Amino acid sequence: MIGYLIRRLAGIALTLLVICAVTFTIFYLLPSDPAQAFCGKDCTPDRVAEVRRQMGLNAPLIVQFGRYVLAIFAGRTMGTGSYAVHCDFPCFGYSFQTGLPVWNMITDRLSVSISLAIGSAVLWLGMGLLTGVVSALRKNSWVDRTLMIGTIGAAAMPVYFTAMLLLYFFCAQTNLIPYPRYVDFTADPLAWSQNMLLPWLTLALATAAMYARMTRSSVIETLGEPFVRTARAKGLRERRVVSKHGLRPALTPVVTMLGMDLGGLLAGAVITEQLFGLPGVGKLFADALHKSDQPVVMGVTLVASFFIVTSNLVVDVLYAWIDPRARLS
Amino acid sequence: MTTTVPAVQEPTERQGQVPASPWRSAWRRLRRRPIALVGLGLIVFFVLAALLAPVLTAISGHGPTDTDKLAVDRFLGGLPKGSLGGVSSQHWLGVEPGLGHDIFARLLYGAQISLLVAFSAALLITVVGVALGVTAGYFGGKVDMVISRFMDIMMSFPSLIFMIALLSVAKDVNRVLLLIIVMSLFTWPYIARVIRGQTISLKHREYVEAARAGGTSSTRIVLTEILPNLTSTIIVYITLAIPGLIGSEAGLTYLGVGVQPPTPSWGQMIADSELYYKLDPMFFVLPCACLFLVVLGFTLLGDALRDVLDPKGGNG
Amino acid sequence: MTRRTHVALAAAITAALTLSLGACTSSKSGSGDGNGDGKGITTAGNGIIGGTPVKGGTLHILSNQDISQLDPARNWTEPEMDFGIRLLYRTLTTFKAAPGKDGLQIVGDLATDTGQSSDGDKTWTFHLKDGVKYEDGTPIVSQDIKYNVERSFDPDLSGGPDYAKNYLVAPAGYKGPLKGAELGNDSVETPDAKTIVFHLKRPVAEFGYTVTLPTFAPVPKAHEGGTTYGNHVFSSGPYKVEAYDRGKQLTLVRNTNWDQSTDSVRKAYPDKIVMDQSGSPEGIADRMIANQGDDQSAVMYADLSHAKVADVITNPDVKARLVSENENCTAMVTMDTQKAPFDNVNARLAVEYAIDKEAYQSAAGGPALADFATTFLPPALTGGTAVDHFKIPTAGDPDKAKAYLAKAGLPNGFSTEITVSNGGKAQAEAVQAGLKRVGINVTINAVDASVATSTIGDKNKQTGLSLNGWCPDYPSGATFLPMLFDSRIISDTGNSGNSSRLADPAVDAEMDRIATLTDSTAADQAWNALDAKIMDAAPAVPVTWQKKPLLVGSNVAGAFGSPIWSAQIDYATVGLKSVK
Repeated sequence: MIGYLIRRLAGIALTLLVICAVTFTIFYLLPSDPAQAFCGKDCTPDRVAEVRRQMGLNAPLIVQFGRYVLAIFAGRTMGTGSYAVHCDFPCFGYSFQTGLPVWNMITDRLSVSISLAIGSAVLWLGMGLLTGVVSALRKNSWVDRTLMIGTIGAAAMPVYFTAMLLLYFFCAQTNLIPYPRYVDFTADPLAWSQNMLLPWLTLALATAAMYARMTRSSVIETLGEPFVRTARAKGLRERRVVSKHGLRPALTPVVTMLGMDLGGLLAGAVITEQLFGLPGVGKLFADALHKSDQPVVMGVTLVASFFIVTSNLVVDVLYAWIDPRARLS
Repeated sequence: MTTTVPAVQEPTERQGQVPASPWRSAWRRLRRRPIALVGLGLIVFFVLAALLAPVLTAISGHGPTDTDKLAVDRFLGGLPKGSLGGVSSQHWLGVEPGLGHDIFARLLYGAQISLLVAFSAALLITVVGVALGVTAGYFGGKVDMVISRFMDIMMSFPSLIFMIALLSVAKDVNRVLLLIIVMSLFTWPYIARVIRGQTISLKHREYVEAARAGGTSSTRIVLTEILPNLTSTIIVYITLAIPGLIGSEAGLTYLGVGVQPPTPSWGQMIADSELYYKLDPMFFVLPCACLFLVVLGFTLLGDALRDVLDPKGGNG
Repeated sequence: MTRRTHVALAAAITAALTLSLGACTSSKSGSGDGNGDGKGITTAGNGIIGGTPVKGGTLHILSNQDISQLDPARNWTEPEMDFGIRLLYRTLTTFKAAPGKDGLQIVGDLATDTGQSSDGDKTWTFHLKDGVKYEDGTPIVSQDIKYNVERSFDPDLSGGPDYAKNYLVAPAGYKGPLKGAELGNDSVETPDAKTIVFHLKRPVAEFGYTVTLPTFAPVPKAHEGGTTYGNHVFSSGPYKVEAYDRGKQLTLVRNTNWDQSTDSVRKAYPDKIVMDQSGSPEGIADRMIANQGDDQSAVMYADLSHAKVADVITNPDVKARLVSENENCTAMVTMDTQKAPFDNVNARLAVEYAIDKEAYQSAAGGPALADFATTFLPPALTGGTAVDHFKIPTAGDPDKAKAYLAKAGLPNGFSTEITVSNGGKAQAEAVQAGLKRVGINVTINAVDASVATSTIGDKNKQTGLSLNGWCPDYPSGATFLPMLFDSRIISDTGNSGNSSRLADPAVDAEMDRIATLTDSTAADQAWNALDAKIMDAAPAVPVTWQKKPLLVGSNVAGAFGSPIWSAQIDYATVGLKSVK
C-alpha cells in the first residue's frame, strides 16, 4: 500500500507540474504583453510597467516559471517598497484589479460551490441510482426502455434550457419558489435549501442521466457474475441477492465517478452559477473573464486542476484500499 | 448506403477486405431501431437546414443580420409585436427583441456555425486520436508509455476551464478556427484511448501476426489490417463525441469566449435570450430546443451505432 | 468622466450595450423628437419615491457584481462615486441631495463653505468644519486631504479623477507620496489642521465644484493601504465597512463618530446597508419586480435591463417604484477624422445625416430608456433644454446624406468599419442599417472590451467608426468638450478621450479662453457656441441621451435619481418607509 501511494503521488506531482507548465504557457507566453493582460483593461502604461516589475516579467522565462511554481508552496512577495504585494501560501496569483490574492478570492467563494456540488450530488445520486437499478432489474422491459430513452433526453438537455424552463415555470408563472439568490447555510438553512433548489435540479438533471446509465450497466454486469449466481443458488431471496450481493460491487464505479465529478464541480459549474448568479468559484471565473482580470482566470484554472487531480488521487487511493487488486495497475 | 436489403447474409465481421457486408448488416439492424432512425432524421434535418440556409432565407426574405424595426415595439423595450415572439407570415419563427432580427434565419446560420465547428473538430480529433492511438497500441513499449502518459495528463485537465482560459488569452484571432483547435486539443485523448485498446487487441489476431511473420512492413499492416478494422469503432466514438463538441461550442459562446457577433450562433442567442426568458419565452425556447434536438440526434444515433457496430465497447 | 468604467459596468450587467450617459433632471422633453409619441418613462410623482424615510432598519442594495474601486483617489465610476461619497467619505464640498435643478448646487461638506478664491481664481482656500471625525473618533485634518490629493498623482493608483493633476501646480513627473515625495507649499498648503490652500496653474472659476470629487476626500496616512486601500476604506462618512467579501457582500454599519450636525446633506436613515453582490441581472430585476420579503427594502444598483422594461411599464404597481432620470451622458458614433474618407467634412456630414437614430434608440432600449441626442452637450449643460443643432429627422435624411456624399466626391458611397465591444453589437447593427441606405457599407468589428479600447486608441488600428460616450463630472462644459475635442490629449496609442482625433487649433484656443472666464453664465454661453462650432465640423454624431432605470422596493423611501451622478439613486437620503 505504501509503495502504491508513493507511485501515485509521484504521478500526481508530474501531472501537477505539467498543468503548471501549460497554464504558465497560456498566460505568460501566449499574450503579446503579459503585464498588460495581468493588469487589466484600463491600466495606464505606468501601471503596466509597475506590474511588469512586480511580477518580474523581465527575468528569463525559466526563472519566471520557477518563481511561479515556488510561489504556490512558499508564497511570494511581488515588487518592493511601498508597493510590494504579499501573496501567502498557497499563492495562485495576485489580482491587481481587486488587490487580493487569488487564493483568498477562491476560498471566499468555495462555500457556495460546495453547497451547489453537494446538494446536486445528493439529487443526482438519488435519481440516477434509482433509475439505474430499476432499469437493470427490469432489463429490456418497457420500463427499462422508457427510462433509458428518458436518460438520453435528459443528458441532451442544455443546462440553460433546464434552468430557464425551471425559472419560467416555478418562479415567473407560478411563484412556487422565490427568485433564487444565495443565502449562507449557516445564516438560514431553510432559505438556503429553498434558494438552491433550482440550481441543484439544473445541475443534477443531466448528471443523473449519466449515473442512471452507468448504474444500469454496472448492476446488469454484476448480477451476471458467478458469485451472484452462487448466492441465488444458495436459495437467497431475490431481494436480498440484489441488495446484498448485487448492488454493493456494482456501485464501486459509481462512487469513483462521483469523487471525480465533485472535484470538478468545485470550480467547474461556471454556466450554472452564472445562470443563477450564485457567487461561487465558477461565477468568480466568469466575472474575471468579463473584467479581463487575468490573474483570477489563471488562478482558478490552476486551482480547478488541482481539485480534479486531488480528487482523482483520493478516489484511487480509496479504491486501492477497498480492493487490493487495483494497486497493481 | 442502400435501402434495398440484400438476401440474408451471415455477418462475417472482422473481414476488412470485404467491408460491404458488415456495413449492410449493421444498417439492417439499425433500421430495426426506430429510435436510431429518429436520431438520424434529426441529424439529416439539421445538416440540410445548415446547408440550405442561404436558400431558405432567400425564400423567407430575411437574412440573419437584417433588422426589422417594425416587428418590435419600441415603446416596450423592443419586445416583438404579436404573439409567440412575433411569429407572422413575415417572420416564421418570430423575431429577436431589440433590433427585430429574424429568428428563423439566425437559427439556420447558427446551425451552420455549430455544425461546422463540431464536424471540423470531430475530423481533427479523429485524425489526431487515431494516429496517436494506433501508434501507441501497435508499437507498444516506450512509445506507448509516453503517449499514454500524455493522454492521462491531458484527461486530468478540467477541459472547459482550460478551453475558456486559452480562448480568453487569444483575443484577436479567427475565433472559429481557434475554437476548433482548442476543443480538439482537449477531446482527442478520449478517442485515442479507445483506439489504442482496440489496436492492442487487433495486434494479437492471427492474421496480423501472420502478416508480421511474413515480413509485411508495419506501415502496411497498420494501413491494411488494423485501420479498416477500426472503422466501426471510430464511427461510433466520433458520433458520440459530436454532441459534446456541439455543447461545448454553445457553452463557450454563451460565456462570451466562443464565436463572436455578428456571426449568428446559438450560444449567443441563448445568452441574449436569458434576460427575456419571462417576457419572450419563445426567444430562449427556440435556440435551446435546436441545441437539444441536435445533441439528442447524435446521441441516439451514436448509442444505436455502438450497439450495432461495437457491441463489446461501451466503456470509453 | 465617469465614462470608461461606466460603460464597462453597463455592458457587463445588461450584456447589451451601452454607453450610458446623461444628465439632467426630469425634463421629459429631452430630445427634439417632434412626434411626441415616445414618452420616456420617468420617476413617478415629484421625482422622489416613498416620501421621507424613517430612521433605522436595513437597506439592501442588489448588485450582480463587485464594486470596481472604493479608494477615493481611484473612484471615478458611477454608481461607485455616489456610493463612496454619500456613505463612506466626505469631500470638501458636495452636491445637495435633491432631485432636479436643486441637486446641481454645491454646499460645503468637510469645508465650511464652497471655497474662497483669490489671485484671479488661481488660489483656492477651504476651512474645515469643527467636529468632523473619522470612524475611530480621530479628527479629520487638512493634511489628510492634501495626502489623498497627492495620492491621485500616483500612476499605481490609477483610474481616479485627474483634475488635481491637471489643475494643480506640481513638479513635473511628480508620482505621489508613496514614491517618497510630498507636494510643496507652492502646490497645496496646509497652514493649520483646519485650512487647506490649493494653488492652480491657471484660473479655474468652478474649482468649488472640482472639490466635490473623491480626490478631495481625506485619507489618513496611517491607514494607507497602497493599491489595496479600496478593500478597507477608512470612513469619514456616516457609515463604515463592517465586512467586505468581494463579489459576495458588502456590509456597512453606522459610523458612530459621524455627527449629523456637521453634515447638511447626508441623512443616513438606515442603521445598516447591505450590498448583495451576487445574483444575475435578470434575477435581480425579477426579484425587484416580485417585491417579496427583504427585497421590499432593497434598491437596484445597476440599470434595469431594457429586456425587463415591458414588464415594468405595463404594470402600474411596479412602474410606481421605478426611478428613471436622464443620465446626462451623450452616446456618440465617432469618426476618425485623420483617415480618409472621414478627413473630409462632407463625408462626415453624410454620416451625420444618414444615421437612423430611431433604430439606434431601439437598440438602446427604445424611447422609454433613451432620448435622441441632438448635440454634444447634454441638456443639463445647455440650460435644461436640449439643443437641436442640425434638425435632422430622427430616422435620418438619406437624400441629404447622399447630397453630402456627392459633395465629398463619393456619390456611390464607400466602405468602412466600426469597432465596438461585444456589448455594443446591437447599436453597431443599427448604425450599419442606417448607413447602408446611402451606400455606406459598414463592417462590424465586435471584439472584447479591452481589445476595443486598445484598437480605437491606436492610430494605426483605429477603424473609421467607433462608439463612445461622455458624461460630465459636474455641470460645466469644462468637464465635457475639452475631454473630447482638445487636440493636445491625442496620443498615437492608448488614445481615449479625443477618439475622433479632431485637431483644430482654433478649437483648442477657444477652450483655453473659456477656461479663464470667471463669469459662469458667460462661460456657459461660450461652451454652447463652441459646441455648435464643433457640431458643424461633425467629428462625431451624438445619438442618444440615456436614462437610468432603477427599481426600488415598496418599503423604500426618499429615493430619487441624482441629477449629477448619472441619475443613480442618491444614497444620501434613501431609507425605509417603516422598520419592522
